[in-house]
Amino acid sequence: MANIYRYILLGIFIFGLSIPAVAEDVTVIRADRVDTVTSGLIENGIIVIKDGRIAAIGSDVEIPEDADIVDVSDKTVFPGLVNPSSGIGLSSPGGGPFSRAHLSVVDELYPHQDVYKRVLRAGFTTFGLVPGSVGTGIAGQGAVIRPVGDKPGEMIVIKSGLLLINFQANDRTKKGIKSALDSVKDKMNSTDPKVQPLANALQGKIPTFITCGGPGNILHLLKLLEPYKQMKVVLSADSELYRVADKLAGKKIPVILPARIDFEPFTRNRINVPKMLVDAGVKIALRPKSDGIQAHEEFLRDVAELVKAGLDGEVAKKAITINPAQMLAVDYRIGSLAIGKDANLLVTSGDILDIDTKIHMVMIEGKVVHKAP
Amino acid sequence: MHKNLQKSTTHINLLVFMILVTLCPASPLFADQRVTVIKGGELYTITSGIIKNGTIIIEDGKISRIGQNIETPKDAKVINAGGKVVMPGLIAATAQVGMAGSDNQIAESLDPFHYSVSFALASGITSIYISRGGSSTAVIKPTYGDLDNMLLKESVSQNISFRSWMDKTNLRQNLGKAREYLQKLDEYTRTNNQKKLQDLKKPSGLDTYIRLLKKEISARLQATTTAELLGIVELIDEFDIRVIIEDAVEAWVVAEEIAKHDIRLVITPRDKRRPNELISAPSGSTLENAAILKKAGVKFAIVPTSPSFATWGVAGRDLMALPMEAAFAVSGGLDEQTALEAITINAADIIGVADRVGSLQAGKDADILILDGHPFHHKTFVETTLVNGKVLYEKSKSPYFSHITHKD
Repeated sequence: MANIYRYILLGIFIFGLSIPAVAEDVTVIRADRVDTVTSGLIENGIIVIKDGRIAAIGSDVEIPEDADIVDVSDKTVFPGLVNPSSGIGLSSPGGGPFSRAHLSVVDELYPHQDVYKRVLRAGFTTFGLVPGSVGTGIAGQGAVIRPVGDKPGEMIVIKSGLLLINFQANDRTKKGIKSALDSVKDKMNSTDPKVQPLANALQGKIPTFITCGGPGNILHLLKLLEPYKQMKVVLSADSELYRVADKLAGKKIPVILPARIDFEPFTRNRINVPKMLVDAGVKIALRPKSDGIQAHEEFLRDVAELVKAGLDGEVAKKAITINPAQMLAVDYRIGSLAIGKDANLLVTSGDILDIDTKIHMVMIEGKVVHKAP
Repeated sequence: MHKNLQKSTTHINLLVFMILVTLCPASPLFADQRVTVIKGGELYTITSGIIKNGTIIIEDGKISRIGQNIETPKDAKVINAGGKVVMPGLIAATAQVGMAGSDNQIAESLDPFHYSVSFALASGITSIYISRGGSSTAVIKPTYGDLDNMLLKESVSQNISFRSWMDKTNLRQNLGKAREYLQKLDEYTRTNNQKKLQDLKKPSGLDTYIRLLKKEISARLQATTTAELLGIVELIDEFDIRVIIEDAVEAWVVAEEIAKHDIRLVITPRDKRRPNELISAPSGSTLENAAILKKAGVKFAIVPTSPSFATWGVAGRDLMALPMEAAFAVSGGLDEQTALEAITINAADIIGVADRVGSLQAGKDADILILDGHPFHHKTFVETTLVNGKVLYEKSKSPYFSHITHKD
């Protein structure tokens, strides 16, 4: 189905069809190139934005008469970056019971923080905000947010966007997770705030993000997950993932990992773990190498390093846009430049992975939220 | 290479396929072969001497035949060990290896990707005793990447603290209660007193002690000095239990007593301890410890000073130097054969897995090393390590050691 939709979109691009815009709130971007990520590159691209959504996109698009024109005809347009797993701007978590499924990060959102302005400048327009770690267990619900807005409500894209589980291979954690998940098996339609997020996660209605240590832990995790077939599991891990690449590919579990060149442990051999995972057939999303501001600011350069070291450029672009959007289950509106999607985009001086590319403008849902001086 | 193979098969280009197959004998296609043969080399069987230019046939992960003049079965995977030393995988009788966390349920947090697993393979160690205290003990194998075959045996011994007076009192009392119960049980069963048998309740919390008295499990204690060792000897006189003692630096002083009580030891020949200048009796450490114990007829395993794989600090003191530790016992006068046994069959016996591992014998697990020299020579490297008949380590492919070659 998604494929058919993609082909229709492709057809629309090729033939330059467009939906005539009549509404008042219309913006048109004229760019040198539009990098759609999912449908290739459009030279001399035009994007028509209506009510915050992309109404038309292509090289031969009719420009509505009363539209505001943003003429960036020497610039490139790229979708806004998506960080699928971050705790940026959140207060540090307190303790709590093993299963804290009812807790949500939306209850500790603080707009007006400098960090949100700075990540915007770095090109991030969507975050999967996850609860901070207070040890293993069901950590709570994460939300999908945009780093703009005056009130917490204005930042939220999806309130209960995901369930976070912190896993570690030990008896207590395994039993705790199992009993928490099994306890809601007969309560799939419950509206109890302690049950509903677990039930939604079990049925795959919301993604389940699982943080996990090294590859040995992942083997234990895969065993634990076997009975829960409907869960949409996304693995958020860091170290030595390449050792279980085949297993993750076999189970079709997508992975969020830092954009970083690693050392093969106890050697001086440098390894490109994202590339190794991609080669094995794993779907990946890249996140900054740490959750700090500086790592966000260096993110595109770090991704470029991975590409320089062999990761396919197109795959890398997907790994910072549409793939994380898919993992957050918001790819129907976020993660690429296509008709109907949110106009979250970056206007840049050149290809997003060129080391000297600058971000000139950031738009979220058609509104300019950052403009370089 | 693997990729090439896959591509050519999908293109159904048979000719290219055949050529590739013949060109790469190490290709994964051969991994499915049921029979592996190690051919040539000096086979240090440990239990039945050295077989020169021998052959080992491995089937289903076990040694099926071993000896000279054995014909190689057709279609077998052949590993040529000509000019090499072939011996059973080493056994670490104490170690911290292969755990992802610090769980008491060892099986629930084994980590077959742990760096220590790769190091164990590179060091030729194929069975490892690990302990999380109490009866949470196990013998594991470094089956890299394979969680399902990592655990060889669980609950192999019972750790007992026997150092503070409280420990000693508790142990004696609990063993006493357990013995009382067992004696009653025995008496009522013998006299067939059904009523009393029904009334006899097993006291709670004594399962461990009952198992110890029934000799279903060995007690594992730590004792360094003569006084501590003799304390344990006394305990065995009082309660007939099987005992393994770790440390045992001054065991040489009371070797005869230890032998008489059939106490097994885990020793470290290089352990140092000053003699006690306040007493006239012999005390302190000696490099001769192992040699004296052997003479008295004590069975012991040897472990290095640091029973883990250290990635910092002084080299040669951790598990990577397990054979070297045994070689120190040889410096102290121990014969080489016994030193080898202390890191293979005797170690396996002490940790309760000698029926599976520790020697090259038909029927045993095919945990086998191919070395480029005598195991006690300082230049010797493990070239190949097999666990359960599978090649899990090859020096030529190791990121740690492949670049090291000796020019003589």
